[in-house]
Amino acid sequence: MAYNSYLYIVVFLGLSLLLYYVTPKRLRWIILLLASYVFYCVSSGGLIVYLLISTVSVYICGLWLGKIIEGYESAKASTPKEERKALSEKVTRRKKLVVFVALLVNFGLLAFLKYFNFFADNINVISKLLNLNIAIRSRRIALPLGISFYTLMAAGYIIDVYRGKCRADRNPCRVALFLSFFPHIVEGPFARYDQLAGQLYEGHAFSYKEFTFGAQLIVWGLFKKIVIADRVNIVVKTVFASPSAYSGLVVLLGVLLFTLQIYAEFSGAMDIVTGSAQMFGISLVKNFERPFFSRTVAEFWRRWHMTLGAWLRDFILYSVSLSKWFVKLSKLIKSRLRSNTGKIVPTLIPLFLVWLFCGLWHGASWKYVLYGMYYYVIMALGMLFEPLFSRLFAALRINREGRPYKALQLVRTLVLVNIGMLIFRAPETKTAFSMLRSIFTGFDPKALTNGTLLKLGMDLQDYFVIGAGGIVMLAVSLLQERGFSLRERIAEKNIAIRWCIYFAAIFAVIIFGAYGAGYNPVDFIYAQF
Amino acid sequence: MDKLLEILEDLKPGVDFALEDDLIEDGILSSLEIMTLVVELCTEFGIEISPLDIVPENFKSAQAIYALITRIRDED
Repeated sequence: MAYNSYLYIVVFLGLSLLLYYVTPKRLRWIILLLASYVFYCVSSGGLIVYLLISTVSVYICGLWLGKIIEGYESAKASTPKEERKALSEKVTRRKKLVVFVALLVNFGLLAFLKYFNFFADNINVISKLLNLNIAIRSRRIALPLGISFYTLMAAGYIIDVYRGKCRADRNPCRVALFLSFFPHIVEGPFARYDQLAGQLYEGHAFSYKEFTFGAQLIVWGLFKKIVIADRVNIVVKTVFASPSAYSGLVVLLGVLLFTLQIYAEFSGAMDIVTGSAQMFGISLVKNFERPFFSRTVAEFWRRWHMTLGAWLRDFILYSVSLSKWFVKLSKLIKSRLRSNTGKIVPTLIPLFLVWLFCGLWHGASWKYVLYGMYYYVIMALGMLFEPLFSRLFAALRINREGRPYKALQLVRTLVLVNIGMLIFRAPETKTAFSMLRSIFTGFDPKALTNGTLLKLGMDLQDYFVIGAGGIVMLAVSLLQERGFSLRERIAEKNIAIRWCIYFAAIFAVIIFGAYGAGYNPVDFIYAQF
Repeated sequence: MDKLLEILEDLKPGVDFALEDDLIEDGILSSLEIMTLVVELCTEFGIEISPLDIVPENFKSAQAIYALITRIRDED
């Protein structure tokens, strides 16, 4: 059930909202849980069993952890001070074992369902190279909806209980609802237990403001998805299907339009799901913050898919960097290497794992590993050469806070991000390199005038809609960047103006949406992870 | 405190860490620099910093970082 379908918006969401608000407040969580399981079953059928395994495993392991922590708290008071450290270490070992069990179950399932064929293919290649007689047959494995999302949220819950960020929940329904909540299970945003579980469980009173603001956000998300993303999809598909048939300029256009597509689509999906949750009075965390205004690639990743970045930081970067063995290793590295490098290398090691995980999380292929490594190399080089750049800019008296330099940084980030998008969308690594090469070597401006652009699946009217839609998106982003809340401003207008704006937005989606004859329904890209 | 200021100045030369009171909001320390700093603090001061301690309030100024180190040492 796609978030942009009539079935979801009119039937499913409409009915869920109606049932939610007519049910007594204290029982409203039941409607959310039922709706979430119905949504999952309609979308993924019997594969719900994997979601249930994840839910039960983290629930039980959470309780187990909670028991260990409670036991420690009560034993601590009666333990002499000098014995407390030994007790704490013993308890930590037991807690780690429980976390290990929970992660093994959850990541084990994810590894099997999503990565089995990838590992099998690679083992077969290695075995062939080494003349070993090992051959693993590929399997047709159906991937449960949202497994990459709910697995990370389940792992996050267990690690948060381990760290003491939240308490183990005794209520299995609350854990089940947190993992299955229908607005976030398909594409995120990644929620944290302490931030969301309570909100989902408490019944929210109907609020006209939350309800209408949520509905507006859904319309805005639909605009980005149906008017922009689905329209450019035709050109993107055409160019990426046979890039060698086109000149560098057309390939460049295909890459730029893919960047526009994935941003409009993913951020649009986030608007739809955040708006859906808001209509129930539930606030989901932000996943995008105008990423294309970033001055550096690191900043881009703090503003693009923010909750994935936060998950990777909190659960991989921190877990590795702050572990005892790693601190010892850092000490060793520092003593062996020169001052600056010695300081940076201990950050570069866990950062490598972060980007490897990030790449593989996006998909089971070497292309995604390259995608992760591409960003890792950019960030690592940036960190290693920063002292050199600082000295160079100081010597050349270049003001790094001046407008010209900031503008250059924006352009540089845009270029680097587009190369990343090219790697991400290209059918395979080899094609990504050849496309990149063609942009620089086969750049033929004639494509602008010889009608090629009109043979890619979009006519002049489509380009006009994309241009106008892009300007609207840019204008909204610029206003938000300056702290202007569009929805608050519209809400201040009188009823006639307000509804004129609402109808204009709804009709823009209906009239200019890329659906119906000539358009195939386009699945959300991130829903396939 | 002197040792901490030395580490900070080494990490980001040219910043007056004794006076700066919002290293995060003012964009002086990025998240990766904070991570480099945290590893430095662990190795130099022999302390264990919990991921829960890595929040902006604990890293907004040299004083806040020093208070964090002192608290962790006292807890040990």
